Amino acid sequence: MKKYNFLLIIALLFSTACGDEFYELNEDVKNPQQVPGESLFTSAQKNMVDQMVSTNVNYNVFRLFCQYWTETTYTDEARYQLVERNIPEQHWAELFRRTLKNLDESAKLILAHEMIPPEETVKTNKLQIIEILTVYTYSVLVESFGNIPYSEALDIEVLLPEYDDARGTYIHLIERLNTAIDNLDASAGSFGSADNIYFGDVAAWKKFANSLKLRMGMTLADVEPALSKSAVESAVASGVFTSNADNATLNYLTSPPNTNPLYIDLVASGRNDFVPANTLVDAMNNLEDPRRKYYFDDNIRDDATGEVIYVGGIYGENNTYSNFTHVTDRIKQPDFGGVILDYSEVEFLLAEAVERGYAVGGTAEEHYNKGVTASFQYWGGTEAEAQDYLKNPEVAYTTAEGKWDQKIGIQLWLALYNRGYAGWLAQRRLDYPILEPHPMAVSGFPVRLTYPIVEQTLNGGNWRAAADAIGGDVVTTRLFFDVK
Amino acid sequence: MKKGNHLTMLLLLLAAGLFGQRSITGTVTSTTGEPLIGANVVVKGTAIGTVTDIDGSYQLEVPEESEVLVFTYTGFAAQEVEIAGRSVIDVSLEEGLVLDEAVVTALGISREKKSLGYSTQEVEGEKLTITKTDNFLNTLSGQASGVQVRRTNNMGGSTNVIIRGNTSLQGNNQALFVIDGVPINNTNTNTRSQEQAGSDYDFGNAASDINPEDIESVNILKGAAATALYGSRAANGVVLITTKSGTRKKGLGVTVNSSVTMGIVDKSTFPAYQQDFGASYGPYYDGGPNNSFLLRDITGDGTDDLVVPFSEDASYGAAFDPNLMVYHWDAMDPELPGYQTPRPWVPAENGPIEFLEEAVTYVNTISFDQGFDKGTYRFSYTNYQHDGLMPNSKLERNNFSLKTDLDLSERLKITGFGNFIKTDGLGRNSTGYSDNIMGMFRQWWQTNVDIQRQKDAYFSTGRNLTWNYADPDQLTPIYWDNPYWSRYKNFESDERNRFIGYVGVNYKLTDWLSIYGRVAADTYNELQEQRRAIGSVANRFGIGTDRVDGSIGRLEVGSGYARRDIKNAEFNYDLMLNINKYFGEKWNLSGVIGTNIRRSYYNSIFSATNGGLNIPDLYALQNTVAPLPNPIERDESIGVNGLYASGSLGYDGFLYLEGSIRRDRSSTLPEENSIYYYPSVATSFIFSHFLNPTWLSFGKIRANYAEVGNAPGFNRISDTYTVNTAFNSASSSLPNTKNNPDLKPERTKSLEFGLEMNFLTNRLGFDVAYYKTNSVDQLLPVRVTEATGYFYKMLNAGEIENKGVELSLFGSPIRTRDFSWDVTLNWTRNQNQVISLEEGLDNLQLGSFQGGVTINAKVGEPYGVIFGTDYTYMNGQPVVDASSGHYVTTTNSDNVIGDYNPDWFAGLNNRISYKNWSLSFLFDMQQGGDIWSLDMWYGLATGLYEETSFINDNGVNVRTPLAEGGGYILEGVNPDGQINQTRVNAHDFSGFGYASGLPSRSMIYDASYIKLRQLSLTYALPASTLERIPISGLSISLIGSNLWILHKNLPHADPESGLGAGNLQGYTTGSLPSTRDIGVNLKVQF
Repeated sequence: MKKYNFLLIIALLFSTACGDEFYELNEDVKNPQQVPGESLFTSAQKNMVDQMVSTNVNYNVFRLFCQYWTETTYTDEARYQLVERNIPEQHWAELFRRTLKNLDESAKLILAHEMIPPEETVKTNKLQIIEILTVYTYSVLVESFGNIPYSEALDIEVLLPEYDDARGTYIHLIERLNTAIDNLDASAGSFGSADNIYFGDVAAWKKFANSLKLRMGMTLADVEPALSKSAVESAVASGVFTSNADNATLNYLTSPPNTNPLYIDLVASGRNDFVPANTLVDAMNNLEDPRRKYYFDDNIRDDATGEVIYVGGIYGENNTYSNFTHVTDRIKQPDFGGVILDYSEVEFLLAEAVERGYAVGGTAEEHYNKGVTASFQYWGGTEAEAQDYLKNPEVAYTTAEGKWDQKIGIQLWLALYNRGYAGWLAQRRLDYPILEPHPMAVSGFPVRLTYPIVEQTLNGGNWRAAADAIGGDVVTTRLFFDVK
Repeated sequence: MKKGNHLTMLLLLLAAGLFGQRSITGTVTSTTGEPLIGANVVVKGTAIGTVTDIDGSYQLEVPEESEVLVFTYTGFAAQEVEIAGRSVIDVSLEEGLVLDEAVVTALGISREKKSLGYSTQEVEGEKLTITKTDNFLNTLSGQASGVQVRRTNNMGGSTNVIIRGNTSLQGNNQALFVIDGVPINNTNTNTRSQEQAGSDYDFGNAASDINPEDIESVNILKGAAATALYGSRAANGVVLITTKSGTRKKGLGVTVNSSVTMGIVDKSTFPAYQQDFGASYGPYYDGGPNNSFLLRDITGDGTDDLVVPFSEDASYGAAFDPNLMVYHWDAMDPELPGYQTPRPWVPAENGPIEFLEEAVTYVNTISFDQGFDKGTYRFSYTNYQHDGLMPNSKLERNNFSLKTDLDLSERLKITGFGNFIKTDGLGRNSTGYSDNIMGMFRQWWQTNVDIQRQKDAYFSTGRNLTWNYADPDQLTPIYWDNPYWSRYKNFESDERNRFIGYVGVNYKLTDWLSIYGRVAADTYNELQEQRRAIGSVANRFGIGTDRVDGSIGRLEVGSGYARRDIKNAEFNYDLMLNINKYFGEKWNLSGVIGTNIRRSYYNSIFSATNGGLNIPDLYALQNTVAPLPNPIERDESIGVNGLYASGSLGYDGFLYLEGSIRRDRSSTLPEENSIYYYPSVATSFIFSHFLNPTWLSFGKIRANYAEVGNAPGFNRISDTYTVNTAFNSASSSLPNTKNNPDLKPERTKSLEFGLEMNFLTNRLGFDVAYYKTNSVDQLLPVRVTEATGYFYKMLNAGEIENKGVELSLFGSPIRTRDFSWDVTLNWTRNQNQVISLEEGLDNLQLGSFQGGVTINAKVGEPYGVIFGTDYTYMNGQPVVDASSGHYVTTTNSDNVIGDYNPDWFAGLNNRISYKNWSLSFLFDMQQGGDIWSLDMWYGLATGLYEETSFINDNGVNVRTPLAEGGGYILEGVNPDGQINQTRVNAHDFSGFGYASGLPSRSMIYDASYIKLRQLSLTYALPASTLERIPISGLSISLIGSNLWILHKNLPHADPESGLGAGNLQGYTTGSLPSTRDIGVNLKVQF
């Protein structure tokens, strides 16, 4: 019998591993099945701001579109080559997946979390803040692409989401914003430290929501005048930004991965990919704009006089980094705040609202002056400097060249330096300044982004329908609001 | 060679002493009395032997203590005859019975080959050791039909082995590797970023740990019917490896095998540069000829000097002119001899090819084997050492194995096998686009940079003095480090300690029934470390935030340290009852009933410094500038419990019917779907049993049908969140993939017909198979639009079909006493088509690459079509814009521009023997299949390649300004249908390649090739000489591999230069060149 003993041992070995633990083998013990909804909000907020403020050529090339900056050696993006690096897809994916879906999940988890009053109000506030950021993100997507998946978006059961009409989506977003604003209760708290923009300050979020509504309302000015007027007026009545302290700024940290993405691309990368473009620098030189010393570095001096001069890289051209003015060190700091909406922009929007006859109080000039001043103050200038600048006849509202759209357009463009996306949106609405593509550009001036390649390969039928509906999936197709 | 020498000396001493000799004579005939010319007669267990002459007679001097002679002749059954003191031994060999040879099938069960109703093909171990490579899988190339081997040139890189096409849309398509019946792990730990040509290293696949010197034979089981008993993992076919055992002879057998191989770059796979123009992107700079230089005061004398634009990694600058003196990068550093000294503007004397070193490989093996009356053992030790092409690169492998068979009693037998493998890699080459020196040489380089000067600069100063400074006023690297700095400071290293072993016990219950139990383990620990020294160009390194492509996000950082610790283990427990019984004379039943329990564990942690290193040259996580980000941890367990039964019924040696069924329970499926069954049936009929004309030696038809179920990978059922590095407070996000709680097993159904025939006393024969495999309900993470909020959704969807023909043809055109020639041809044509995907979806994107191309599985197309932008066409001609002269390309990128599947591939093996000489050579070829070249996309644009400088139709260099007759005319028609006449400028960066507005189709190349893959010339010492020296066998071989690429269409690179193993093929960037490997092998037996 001895000989059989080892067989028994083997048989025993077999019999062991078949118990109930069998299916537990498939459990992921390293990643959580449950997390607080707030933690998803934290990542969504950061992901969205990262995308909006980045200058990485794979993600965000709006500073180039606006000719604030241009490239040194690799001029592809300044010449509107967007397919090579799938840039539209990155913009799309960062906003849909890494922002909206995480916001969506965050809202679901927070909603499912039972609260007892007065915590119930905090919960409601959180849900409204999520809603406001959701509207912001969607508004950027509509303004960037035109028709987008909306009513069928963010649903993994719908693998081929249809695209919704851009105008209808935009109007619906404003309605959602109204509801959110109405439901915010500034007497209670919200996200606290999970919110790296306002740290849970509900009143601040309300101002942000109204300021966003103001911008969205103005975006509709040429196509939905009545809605535009009512949205803008109600936003102003409810309270928009009144100082730079209200700016929607993500407070980045000093260490990766939570630094401003600009720090990664401008400093940590050790690369010299960007210099301010001659379009911007020449315009500021002409106006002797004092903000040059805040926007730019003082690395170029006149050979003869030794004075600091500002020389922009030729837009779209190959530029030797050391021969041109560099960007200021301030925006290279790892914890430089990431701004997605600011007071200066709000004042310029108000100036435009006055010109369009909306009842928002004040004169266009007053708002214009406040917009310029806010920009100076944000960048470290003084009110006195701004006053001086506004005396320049080419700057002063009454004497500056052109009609209000040109005056506001130029100064808004100057003020939105480093806010590429906002600059691009404003330029498309106001058509000032006039930005000429480089002669070797692969297309005309992009007034939208093309749909991502994945939409062609994975959602082809709906992509084709959307492309037809907006008038062709090319960068020169004007979007619904861009009718002038 | 040092180690080898010591060993040889030692063994010579060990084996010293002379032995007595005696002579044996005789004749060898067929059963019909015909003399067999050229039959082999060998003393068993030695290399002492001879061949019969024209009369079939032989004479052999054998050592006194010899016991057994072995007589072999192709097409005849081998015979072993005991000498028993005789001096005359005549034998007659039986014809045709060679096909009674036993082959090893699934689970290590030995079967008569003729009874098999499915296709298997054996490769002798000897063929796999002719050439010495870092991955024995490479040597399988061309050796068997139906087997496609896709290699890379990466040092220690991974190799993709696909049998009968890709059957899985997104899962693992690689064959299962099995050693002596025990499945082993072949995981490739490469990152997604590596696979998608981002960056990172190719760490090879784990099957490369197998020591070819220990392989007795490899048997390839191709279809599902052959493999069903292995369960789900074997749906892609099985490579069965049988290791060498000790032989049952008296005395200690010692074999020493030493080889040294030298690899020399095959220049046809290395970029050939134009020699006319140097650095810059075009006439954009401060001054000098072509406005291609910077004007800076380098010498401090107050006047501006002409300075090379260091920062520009392209060669679109001024024409070379030996009379033009300019300041190069080495004029900038006071420690260099060229400080503040101008040099002529000439092409580099030493181009990048000088950067590559000779690749040298030493393989030394010693093995001992011995037989006792109660068993055998074999011990072997192999040291493999490879110095790579790249400076400071090295791969070393030490392999110890011991195999014993013990007969504990008449009925009880134990087999034990243990193999310990230690692999150490140092300085593997980077792959992909970023931070890859070969990418720099192929895409971003200045033709004026002399690599020798870079070398001298690094070695004389130890600093990162690069040709690619940001600016004369900013002497830091901008895009590229000094390549020597990269190699010596920013190197990776890795080590893997692996144990593979099993103990099997066989107990014979009766003479027809036995029970077998086996416990097997395959475990390894691996450590991969990456370094980036302070002072390097910043690159994506370490851990950042999750990025769009689903790979580990990395942030640009100038220095750092990252490590990945991997623990992998797999345990298999088998118990089976084997039956082999004759009923009467004619009926035979053989079968098995068994169970297999498999447990696999994978555990890893990837951790990296953050924001750089504090202290130079200290590579430790503690040496981080900012607090460590969250590491990435994985802990994954998989269990499969299988039960199976299989039986083969044979009648009179000519008709066989076989059936099997297996039931699997898999831990990775939802409990209610976790149990699944799959069957197979196979039959074979030996028609030569009835039809027996003299020219037909053997004829068999076979047919089979089989299904194999497959379960998903770890945790595809329930969802988890991803935890991010905290941002003031906790941060988490949804993962890339939406899992699916309703998964069910996927299923592969395959049908095969085969015909085997041998003619003219087995001098000629073929084996042809037709197969069709459909894989349905595929388990796949389907790439979805990000508008859904995810990248992938786990689904059971889709069907993929592979059908094909495999042909193996063999013949012995010449067979005489002194001279013989054997030829084998393996030819395979596989056609594959994606039949369906999830309802509504018509495309599955497998990977997305730089250059705007994607690799896809599209319904109605083969698996692996390449998408991108295309030309627009008119009457079949590409359309050229009449005003710009550039092509009008599509704006959409969903055009099929290529297909990575070859039309067919083949291997042609020849073996010629003359007396004691033998010559064998293998041609390996592939027809068709496309490859997209990022090297050409960028390298043409940067003006590197010779294609970018030529005399145009106006008789001037194409780079001359348009106004002066330069430029060139693109072939095509204008929108009005007229032949295009508009010239395009080739004066700067926009002249060629991607920058000139070409569609991605322009960089599709045909990946066909014909290669002289292997060649060996061996001389074995004749018996007459061996008699006089104390060794029993000695042979010396001259060996070569990849000696000659006879044909290829991909310029400047090897069409086999993919990124690594996996489903993403058909894309090349920054690959190492191929080497022609030439070496010597010495084998001594005592």
